[in-house]
Amino acid sequence: QNLNCVTHNLRKMVCTWDISSKRRHGQTDFCYTTDGLFLPVCFKTKEKRVEIPVPESSTTVKIITNSISGTAFATREFEIQKKDISFVPLTPRILSLRPDFSTSTLTLKWSDNGSVFPYGLDAFWQIEILRKETMEKVTQVTYYSKLTHEDNILSWNWTSDMPLECTSHYVRIRCYINVTQFVGHKDWSDWSPVEKAPGKDTEPNGSGLFPQDTVVTVGSDVTICCVHEEGRQVQRMSYGAEDYPLIYLSSRSSAIRVLNASASNASGTNIVCRASGDWMDGTVLFVGYAPDIPEDLSCETSNFVTIKCTWKPGRPSGLYGKRGTKYSLLERISGKNVSCEVNEMKKERVCGFQVLGDQRTYSFTLGVSNPVGQTEASLLVDLSQRVHPETPEKLTVSGNSSTSVRLHWFINGNFAEIRLLCQIEISNGHSEQKLHNVSIPGGQFSTYTAQVNTLHPYTKYQFRVRCSAADHFWRWSDWSRTEEHTTLEA
Amino acid sequence: MAAADTPSAALRRRDLCSRGIRLARKMRSDVADLLDIYVEQQGLDASISVAAVEGVPVAAADRWDEQTGAQRLLDNLAAYRAFRALLAQMLEELREELGSADAALGQALAAVLLQVSAFAYHLEELLQLESRGPPAEEGSGLPAPPHLSLFEQKLRGLGVLRELAQWAVRSVRDLRQLAKHGSGSGPASGPAES
Repeated sequence: QNLNCVTHNLRKMVCTWDISSKRRHGQTDFCYTTDGLFLPVCFKTKEKRVEIPVPESSTTVKIITNSISGTAFATREFEIQKKDISFVPLTPRILSLRPDFSTSTLTLKWSDNGSVFPYGLDAFWQIEILRKETMEKVTQVTYYSKLTHEDNILSWNWTSDMPLECTSHYVRIRCYINVTQFVGHKDWSDWSPVEKAPGKDTEPNGSGLFPQDTVVTVGSDVTICCVHEEGRQVQRMSYGAEDYPLIYLSSRSSAIRVLNASASNASGTNIVCRASGDWMDGTVLFVGYAPDIPEDLSCETSNFVTIKCTWKPGRPSGLYGKRGTKYSLLERISGKNVSCEVNEMKKERVCGFQVLGDQRTYSFTLGVSNPVGQTEASLLVDLSQRVHPETPEKLTVSGNSSTSVRLHWFINGNFAEIRLLCQIEISNGHSEQKLHNVSIPGGQFSTYTAQVNTLHPYTKYQFRVRCSAADHFWRWSDWSRTEEHTTLEA
Repeated sequence: MAAADTPSAALRRRDLCSRGIRLARKMRSDVADLLDIYVEQQGLDASISVAAVEGVPVAAADRWDEQTGAQRLLDNLAAYRAFRALLAQMLEELREELGSADAALGQALAAVLLQVSAFAYHLEELLQLESRGPPAEEGSGLPAPPHLSLFEQKLRGLGVLRELAQWAVRSVRDLRQLAKHGSGSGPASGPAES
């Protein structure tokens, strides 16, 4: 009685049955006929279990139970319809469970055993994560895949809400295959044996606080655990100046959970664990912001030798030193990339980039990153439209007439490819101030000259000069120093 | 043993000792201030206990009162040379960890490092006076510290500064002994006022 047939691969099925009689019995004669067979197939078995083909429609089974001496004492016939058969996939086989302690991520790999099934079936994999000595369920996830009539290795990642060092994590998996055309009962496979990712609390010398000296984003929820030797008792765990309720993980591991962590100071927030026997250890947690997208990215050249890019960093990240925000400047046309030395305490950010031969257009991408995030800003620049000359130097004024003078000045830079517009400010004591513009061909690190006429004889004047690009004005240089000169008498 | 004291040598020693005492006192108060900044900036609990830190000379001395003057100078010199290397190491670690974020702590630490260097030099002068040239410095200072976690690094720094504060007190007492008894040994009299 209770004949029950289960298939694991839709081709063969395992039938099992019970024998109600209490009499001792010997071998069983098992015969079955199925579609396409004229004669029954019979064989003897000692077990109450046989494996026979799954029928297209139905199978007739005759089970003859014999006594010890071999005489039949019970015969039973069954008609097995397709709908009476259950389909239960084989228990999945976990190939590997790899912990990545730096990211608290478990990577599970298993075989989908697809070669057993026709192409294209939908498969659902239920994955359970268990934790602690008590193997509490942490989460259960359903993963979907399509079978391809080949054995594929599937992979799945899971990031724990606590460092994997804190305590052992266990994973098990089972599957369900949606064979729509199978009319019988369909069920989940059995759970696989659990696979273990051992925590530090299982290692003989494993002790310390985890995570170790890590960086998280402001607002994160963080679990910090304290792993200690067997026999000790954690008494207190403090985050900064505040004690937190302890969470028991195992006999050698306790944790605290910090919710919505606020920004730490420059040296980080200390987490200290005190245990019996005067034992103490600690770790440091840095809580900061991901970098903001740089604002007002601007690049210019003062001398056609170097390009100076400036930007506003946005909100301070709260992370410093080797955890501080790093900047790099990539020029996409040339592919050249420079890293920028930046002083976190200064408001303005500056990065220098060498002018590349006669390349005039620059496609800059400012990359910004710190341990909790990265971003970038881009800028396309035509250098000739971003000329901000250096301050004119060595201004001299000479004159051999009563109404005109000649000015000479030097500008550091290679402006040979552009024209300069220079503005001469002429003022004398009577608060009379005039601006005299001159357009001059640019030169290479050279001295420039301009004449100023229509001056008053025998009058003391103050002169100063500034320059900019003539064709595409961008910014004036600073004013040169002022130079005094008195025109000759008439 | 040092040659018998000429009056000028004794005068010179007393002058060097009193200047050394002033240096040590200043260093002691600056180290106390530095400790406050350090504890606050590193987010430590001021009462936290720190185990003996490897490589940090211990100020407490057995049979301190039986030491000769020369021995006192040698012990002091060895200690402050060690502290010079330890503080330089701490400064390096601080720059790496904090960048320019905590100038106050960095400046205070650099200032104490300067004083420790100056005091070591002063001790060398005193040893010269005892016609005993100061021992050559061994290698380039301390061996590279073991890889420590940040928390251990913070505790180590605290341990270094606490011990340096103790040494500053001891140095005052040592120099006072030296000023009184010269480089020979002499009974230590009475509790030292620091």
